[in-house]
Formats: sequence, C-alpha cells, structure tokens
Amino acid sequence: MILLEDVYFAYDGLYTALQGVSLQIDDGERIAIMGSNGAGKTTLVKHLNGLLRPDSGRVILDGVDTKHYSVAELAREIGLVMQNPDHQLFLESVEREILFSLENLGYSKEEAKPRCEETLSNLGLEGFSERSPFTLSGGERKRVALASVLATEPRVLSLDEPTIGQDARQKKNLAGMLAELNQKGKTVIVVTHDIEFVIENFPRTITMANGRIVADGPTNSVLSNNDVIERCSLTRPQLTETARHLHNVFPEVPERLTLMDDLEEVVVKVLGGV
Amino acid sequence: MSFLEIFQYTRQDSVVHRLDPRAKLFMSIVLATVSLLFLSIIPLMIIFCCLVPIIGAAKSLRRWLRSMKGLSILLVFIIIFNTLLSTQPNPFSHSLALTLRLVTLMTSFSVFFLTVHPDELSQALIQMRVRFEFAFAMSMAMRYVPTLGQEAYAIMDAQKARGVELDKGSLLKRIRNIVPIIVPLIIVSIRRALSIAESMESRGFGASEKRTYMNVLRFKKRDWAVVIISLLVLVLVVYLRLFVTLPSWLLWQLEI
Repeated sequence: MILLEDVYFAYDGLYTALQGVSLQIDDGERIAIMGSNGAGKTTLVKHLNGLLRPDSGRVILDGVDTKHYSVAELAREIGLVMQNPDHQLFLESVEREILFSLENLGYSKEEAKPRCEETLSNLGLEGFSERSPFTLSGGERKRVALASVLATEPRVLSLDEPTIGQDARQKKNLAGMLAELNQKGKTVIVVTHDIEFVIENFPRTITMANGRIVADGPTNSVLSNNDVIERCSLTRPQLTETARHLHNVFPEVPERLTLMDDLEEVVVKVLGGV
Repeated sequence: MSFLEIFQYTRQDSVVHRLDPRAKLFMSIVLATVSLLFLSIIPLMIIFCCLVPIIGAAKSLRRWLRSMKGLSILLVFIIIFNTLLSTQPNPFSHSLALTLRLVTLMTSFSVFFLTVHPDELSQALIQMRVRFEFAFAMSMAMRYVPTLGQEAYAIMDAQKARGVELDKGSLLKRIRNIVPIIVPLIIVSIRRALSIAESMESRGFGASEKRTYMNVLRFKKRDWAVVIISLLVLVLVVYLRLFVTLPSWLLWQLEI
C-alpha cells in the first residue's frame, strides 16, 4: 500500500507543482491519473519511486517512509516508465535492453531470458529482439521502453503516457498485459490523456489540476462529472455526451453514463424492449 | 559546475547590457589582450580592479562572486601544482600571477557572455559579415546547452527508475554508469537536430537569398565611446609594454 500524506513539491523551490496531495493506493488497484497539462501528474508519479522527494509531507510504502530508501531500492517495488522512451534506451539490441533492467534488479540468467521473451511477445515485439532500438519507429521504441520495465514485474507499475503513438491494436495489447499483471496482484497506475483507454481499463480515476487532486473515485462517476471534466480540461467521453443528448429527448436516460453496456440497457428500456 | 554561470546570459537591465554587442566584444578582447601582456601581480591586480566595476555596472557582481567561489578549488590547485612544478625563480609568486591572469581572462570574457543574449550575438556576427547559417548554428548551439542539461537529468531519472545505481559502487562502476546516460543523450540530440533541421526547412529556412531581420543593431554614441576608450587603452598599454621600461615596483615579485 502506498500512502501520500499532504505532499508539497516545488521545482527549484519556486514553481509549485504539488500543493498538498493526499492519496491512498491499495495493492492490486488499477488507477488512472488524468488532468490538464502542468497539473502535476508526472511530478506525482515521480514521487512514488523517489525520483522526486516531497518538500513537505510524506510518501509511505507499506508503513515505511520512502525517504529511507534509494531510488534503486524503490525500483524493485515500484516500476516507472517515463514518457520519452529515448531517455532510457541505450543498448545495441532490444533484448539486451530488456535484460539490462532485469540484471539491475538481480534476476538470474535462467529467469531473465524467458521473462524477456514473454514480455516481447505480449507487446507485439516478437522478432525484434536482435534489432537495435534506434532503428525502430517511435511507437515501437515506446513499447521497448515499456517492455524493459514490464519484464521486471514490479509490485507497483506506473506508466507515464503509455498510449502515445500506439495504434488501436497495440493499445489493446497493452491493456491486456496490464490486466494480466493486475490479475497477478500487481498495482497499475497510468498517467494519460486517453479517456477511452481509462474508461475501458481503469476502475479508479484521479484527476488533477494546478497541483491538487480535484476528484478521486470510481472512473464512471469521476469522468461523467461535468464539473471535473471542465476543471481538469479533459475531453468529454463520447458516450457521456451521447447520453446527455439522449437525456434531452428521453428524460429517463440518465445524464451521467460512461459505459456502453449501461447505455445499451437504457436505450433498450426506452425503446420498450428488444 | 557553478563557475560556468559567468558565461551564461542573464536578463538584466543595465548600462552594460544595453551596449552594442560588437562594442562589448571589442572591449572584452582588449581587456583579455591586456591581461595577456602582463605576468606580474601588480599590473594584473590593476586590471582586475578595473574589471570589478564593469561587472558591477552589469549588475552581476553576486553571480560573478558565486562563480568565483565555485572556481576557487580549481584556482587553489593551479597555484599548488604550479608552485611545486615551476622552474621559475619565484615559483609561488609566478603561479599566483598565472592564476590572477586566468581570473582576469575569464572575467573579461564573462563581461561579454553575461550580457549578450544569444540572438544579439548571432545578429552581431551577421552584421560583421559572418554568413547567416553559421551565426544561426552558433546561437542555436548556445541556446541548446541548458536544454541538454535538463535532458541529462531526465535521462538519469529514467535510468534510476530502471534500477541503475548512479551514485554507488566503485569508481570503475561509476564510470561505467556513464554509458546509460551518455548514449541516450547523444541519440536524443541527434534525433532532435534532425527534426529541428526538418522543421526549419519546412518553415522556409534558406528559401530566399536575402533575409530581413527584425532587430538590426546600430552603433550609438556610447558604443563608439566604449570602442574608442578600449582602443586608447590598448594602444597605451602596448606602447608601455614594448617601448617603456616599467618601474620596478610594477614588476614586483614575492620572494617565494
């Protein structure tokens, strides 16, 4: 369990990026963090693995303040994939790149190899293992960077903007893989602007604006809340928009809907059965 | 690396900042040349005492002091090693003078770099008949130094998140740890260079033979004054150095 207690953080002591963020993340949760540009989302996830340390407040992992751990120690428990894949790829082959993370965390050769292969095939990178990461396309590099952390199967996995540059199939693969890890009891935290990706895959959503948490709760209720959408400058989910339009015509359709199944159900009801 | 700060432009409103960069360049070169003409403590002290008010006029004394503090360890090293290894009759005195010369040289050029915005610099070069492409490349290079620094920190973060322990282990291991930082840094820079080149071309870089410029530099009276005074100083000092026997107190040395 991760606990953030009233975390304040300012870059260079000037620009306040987090202003009193409190948060509880239980084991095995799937959480999306959304919000406007510069809301402090990336700053927040960097606090989880100690890359940034709070100016005041505490970040507590399983009852122990994370200030007692180094980033490398925290990396065993909390994996973080940053936005720009080019910031972490440096080896001559995709396979070496992924093995590097595993070696850092002390996995044996026998253990590392199959993990690497499994991760690559899960992310649609089979056949790439001997390629140089630098010859890959942007989306592929992104997946290699993801794979390099996913392979280590950390207890908590946080991904900063993982869906950028990914087509529908790759997004689906990624979602599948995250779900699978989640099934194994891993916590998954994602920072993203991709609202459909969140609705489909994450039961809990935290939205932020100006370094503060605006809303934290079940995705359906957070993302169908007009006020939250407005304040965090999120795109309105199309389904919610549809429901709102339908509501104007058929008052019995609720305004706040995010799921296709729910919408289908009410529409069927309005139409008087199948 | 805080001593590099004196070579970094700071936005200020001061007399020195408002001078034409060409006049400032000339002034800096004169000051540096004068420092190179002497290797005794007293004349260098005099030059130093002339430089301090100029830095003061640029409202950058505090910054300059901070850089000098950052540089002090290096300076002490230079003094120690030179004293130990010198073949001069008065090794300590000689190395003190050398160090003083280094400080005056750095300060002379810092007057220029502290107060000239990269854009101004490239405009000055262009008006000094340097080809636009070269001037532009130079100001771009200066512009991207801080970006590169930020990038390096982002890369360190990304590697730490993968469990690389950057500040632990033997010296050899630490040196080897540079690889995961430096390789992405180079790759990212190359990629960015390519994409900047593409986007510049898309925006019509080099499309017409004759470019126009938003801000054209013009010499004002005060710029002429700076140039003329600098020139007079230069002529005077060169004359003194070459044709006049300097009084012995000027060439005074410590007896160690």
